[in-house]
Amino acid sequence: MQHLDDLIREAHRRIDTSTTLVALNDVRVHYLGRKGVLTEQLKSLGALPAAERAGAGQYINDAKRLVNEALDRRKQVLEQTELDAKLTAQALDITLPGRGHEPGGLHPVTRLLARVQALFERMGFRMETGPEIEDEFHNFDALNFKLDHPARAAMDTFYLRDWPLLLRTHTSPVQIRAMLAYGAPIRVIAPGRTFRHDSDVTHTPMFHQVEGLLVDEGVSMAHLRGTLSLFLQHFFERDDLQLRFRPSYFPFVEPGAEVDIRCIFCDGGGCRICKQGGWLEVLGCGLVHPNVLRACKINPERYTGWAFGLGVERLGMLRYGISDMRMNFENDIRFLQQFR
Amino acid sequence: MKISENWLREFINPAADAHALAERLTLAGIEVTSVTDALPPLDRVMVGEVKSVLPHPDADKLNICQVEAGSGRLLQIVCGAPNVHAGIKAPVILPGGRLPDGSEIRKAKLRGMESEGMLCSAHELALTDDHLGLMVLPADTPVGKTLTAVLGGADKIMEIEVTPNRGDCLSVLGIARELGALYDQDLKIPDAKPIAAVIKDMLPVKVEAPEGCRAFAGRIIRDLNSRATTPLWLCERLRRSGVRPIHPVVDITQYVMLELGQPMHAYDCTHIEGGIVVRWARTGERIKLLEGSEPELDKNVLVIADHRRVLGLAGIMGGSGSAVQDGTVDIYLECAWFSPTAISGRSRRLGLQTEAGYRFERGVDLQGQLRAMERATRLLMEITGGKPGPVTVMEEPRRQPSPVRLRRARLEKLLGIAVPGNDVVRILSRLGMPPQAAADGWDVVPPGYRFDIEVEEDLVEEVGRIHGYNLIPSLQYPGSASMALLPEKRLDMRRLQETLVQRGYQEVITYSFVDPELQRRLTGQQGIALANPIAADLAEMRLSLWVGLVQTLRYNRNRQQARVRIFETGLRFILEHNDIKQENVIAGLITGPQYPLQWGLPDRPADFADLKGDVEALLALSGNLERLEVLPAPHPALHPSQSAQLWLEGTDLGWLGVLHPQIAKILDIPSAVVFELKLEPLLMGRLPHSREVSRFPPIRRDLAVVVDETVTAAQLLQAARASGGAVVQDLRIFDIYRGPGIDSRRKSVALGLILQDSSRTLTNEAADAVMAQVAERLRCELGATIRD
Repeated sequence: MQHLDDLIREAHRRIDTSTTLVALNDVRVHYLGRKGVLTEQLKSLGALPAAERAGAGQYINDAKRLVNEALDRRKQVLEQTELDAKLTAQALDITLPGRGHEPGGLHPVTRLLARVQALFERMGFRMETGPEIEDEFHNFDALNFKLDHPARAAMDTFYLRDWPLLLRTHTSPVQIRAMLAYGAPIRVIAPGRTFRHDSDVTHTPMFHQVEGLLVDEGVSMAHLRGTLSLFLQHFFERDDLQLRFRPSYFPFVEPGAEVDIRCIFCDGGGCRICKQGGWLEVLGCGLVHPNVLRACKINPERYTGWAFGLGVERLGMLRYGISDMRMNFENDIRFLQQFR
Repeated sequence: MKISENWLREFINPAADAHALAERLTLAGIEVTSVTDALPPLDRVMVGEVKSVLPHPDADKLNICQVEAGSGRLLQIVCGAPNVHAGIKAPVILPGGRLPDGSEIRKAKLRGMESEGMLCSAHELALTDDHLGLMVLPADTPVGKTLTAVLGGADKIMEIEVTPNRGDCLSVLGIARELGALYDQDLKIPDAKPIAAVIKDMLPVKVEAPEGCRAFAGRIIRDLNSRATTPLWLCERLRRSGVRPIHPVVDITQYVMLELGQPMHAYDCTHIEGGIVVRWARTGERIKLLEGSEPELDKNVLVIADHRRVLGLAGIMGGSGSAVQDGTVDIYLECAWFSPTAISGRSRRLGLQTEAGYRFERGVDLQGQLRAMERATRLLMEITGGKPGPVTVMEEPRRQPSPVRLRRARLEKLLGIAVPGNDVVRILSRLGMPPQAAADGWDVVPPGYRFDIEVEEDLVEEVGRIHGYNLIPSLQYPGSASMALLPEKRLDMRRLQETLVQRGYQEVITYSFVDPELQRRLTGQQGIALANPIAADLAEMRLSLWVGLVQTLRYNRNRQQARVRIFETGLRFILEHNDIKQENVIAGLITGPQYPLQWGLPDRPADFADLKGDVEALLALSGNLERLEVLPAPHPALHPSQSAQLWLEGTDLGWLGVLHPQIAKILDIPSAVVFELKLEPLLMGRLPHSREVSRFPPIRRDLAVVVDETVTAAQLLQAARASGGAVVQDLRIFDIYRGPGIDSRRKSVALGLILQDSSRTLTNEAADAVMAQVAERLRCELGATIRD
């Protein structure tokens, strides 16, 4: 059997030195194929004496099994190697930028409006919109602006040439429309475009406001203060934000106030943005004037309410640092893409 | 309005500095926007007297002056001012001193001549922007004193913005009254005791328009010293208030207005014929005004006239014909009360914004005329001298304003805080409206200078603002009992916006008013015009958002942006059935490469189909895509054969197409594709309704047909779908071929069908039958030949 041992040894050597699956298969055919060396050995068993036949058969079969196992092991190794090589060859430059569209973006005013709206919707306010071409009744008369009063002149109104109509100077007419449509109690916010005949670094002839209105029984200045504090703290994400109310005048509210916040840039220490004053003006507000409630068929003895109006571009200045209001409407794409 | 602190302190002198006063006023609703020094630092600036002036030997425009400035020794100063001459007094800055701009003045040689300091102009001292040479000081100014001292010393100027309802605060007196309430102090009001007449001369006064002029006081003063000049202290007070001195008489009337809030006017008496008439102007009447213009008047303008002609616009501006001027010795002083409704808007309409008009529009004290008249007369006596006549007073019977009730309970209910009763009484009394106790609160009669106290809420504000708004607590109003409707069918507009953003669009916001010319080019129509546009190219309301988008494209192309993808939502303004329709739309524009430059996609220009894909994506959101109809139609802005009108179940939804090449050429912009759709139908979606998904395997079959170029994709798809029946789950065009092998007037279209039955597995035979049916229909109906 010396011959067989050599044969097996030789087989192992050839298996281990095979480097491809094809070569390995040749080895398999050579030893285990139909005319393979070991197959032939088995065939030659018949020539042996009967007594030796069983032992030799066992011996050859063991050898066959061992060679087979060695072939399988080697096959696995070679397959793995081949797969590795294939996968390696499939390497991508994963640093190449992805394919397709790059997203555009929303206008900063839209972003701000969405934020204001979301905060007020959480407080149960419904959103209302109104026309931009308005009439004197909704823009002035119902809001207690007297004819020829300087407050009316101060609005710098755009008028239409061929119609007795105007471009709304504030979002306040939506208050009137909402109260006439739904009556009291009511809580609404009304975002939108507004127009005044004015143009410089801090004024554009078109800008955006958000109007807020709450009318119900027993509503006081304290509730106005409460809601505005909450809103402004959330808007600026500062729960220590300080507010101050300054008496002011808007014909449709009484008492009226302007609201300042502690300067968010210098915390009141004084800086360029707050003009060293330590406070930033953010909005105007007050209790709805009884004449306005009456114009909207609401009994001012039973119901009281508050209203506010805030300038969206002003918030853009405070929140995003857009100091030149005109940038908002020049629509330079490079500028707008900062606000995605 | 500028108010001098020193002047204010003559009326009330609280123990607080100017900044503290400003803060208190601001928090009471009288907004002080700045507090600044009235004088710049005038370091080593003295009053000097020019003793002699000799020409500089080596310079034509320079003089050598000998100046006495209090040192006991004459200073030699080289001066280039044209108005220098011996005997005048002017500020001198001594060597070592600094001008307000920081430059130091040293002893120096000017063209070889020693100069020990500098004679100064008001401009150099940053007092005014006068460039009229040296600041000549009155002859009685004491030489050797500091200029600061002779100008009345250091002072602060408060810049105050008064809201339109508070005309009563447009004076030193008015601001002092506010401080009186805030600091709980009495005021010291200047002496206004009547000055006895020394002559008997009077002018007859006739008020023909009592509704516009409720009170009129007039007085003749004769024999003024026509050589009198306005004293330095008064000039300086005017300067600190932002008023330029003109003539002693005018300066005094201005002074009284600044101090007491009562505008006055002085006429040269010799130019008044007969007497004074206060009346409405006659249509077509003209008057030459002090500032030079000569407006045509109408019967809405209140005027002061004599028996022959109009002398001036009541409460706004006097006429030049009767103006006080150099040499005037006899004057007529007018001090009247014109009603805000008679004045309001007139200055604006006539383009004349004056201090007087500003005050009358907002309301002047009904009881302040005599006080102002006496105050002015007293100052005139001191400054110009003269012989006053008796005061003529024409007055409408005063209607006692009806009291306003302030209920204790209402006060607390509105402010959300209880204010003690004696504080209420104190506050209202200090504001000049002492309340009378009533059963449930107080009755308050507004004083003659308050025109903003009409209803209870006005008093609530008065009490609240003086008591302090910032004492009001923060409370949350309880949650709403009702909940706003949230119709699920209705899409949130944000989803449309986000969809476009994801497809590479940048949102823009353009003006609602646009260039009429560009608008006409893009819409073929005229928009609704503004009466008073801010610019000629912002004069019409937009008929389409395309106007703004095209403008934005131009703006960005001029800034080298080749790829522009923008959209906007907003109202457009259309005339419909003689009414203005304000319609919400969404519009977009794309130009340049479809994709940002990248390695994995071909660099190709965005086209019609790209934009249509975006529009289809918008319609898909509301489930309306299947109902969309796209029909060719002409539009003035669009390429005649690349333009489509979109329809949704019989309503026209909008337009989509390539910008007309001619328009692009004229506007010098690249080719662009645009759309505009009505928002309302886009937002009306449907409530999803679940259907079972077929569990049986689908079969994909393709069909290539050759048809005439005139056969549209919509025709092919519709015919294929109709003939295929319910088993056609999906149907798409996946290739279009023109070229070799195909007749030049025909095209090959490849259709891909997904066939699937919902109740059983579809056999190959059944699928073949469906495909045969489809092919037959396309052949018969659309003249298609089937390619193998």
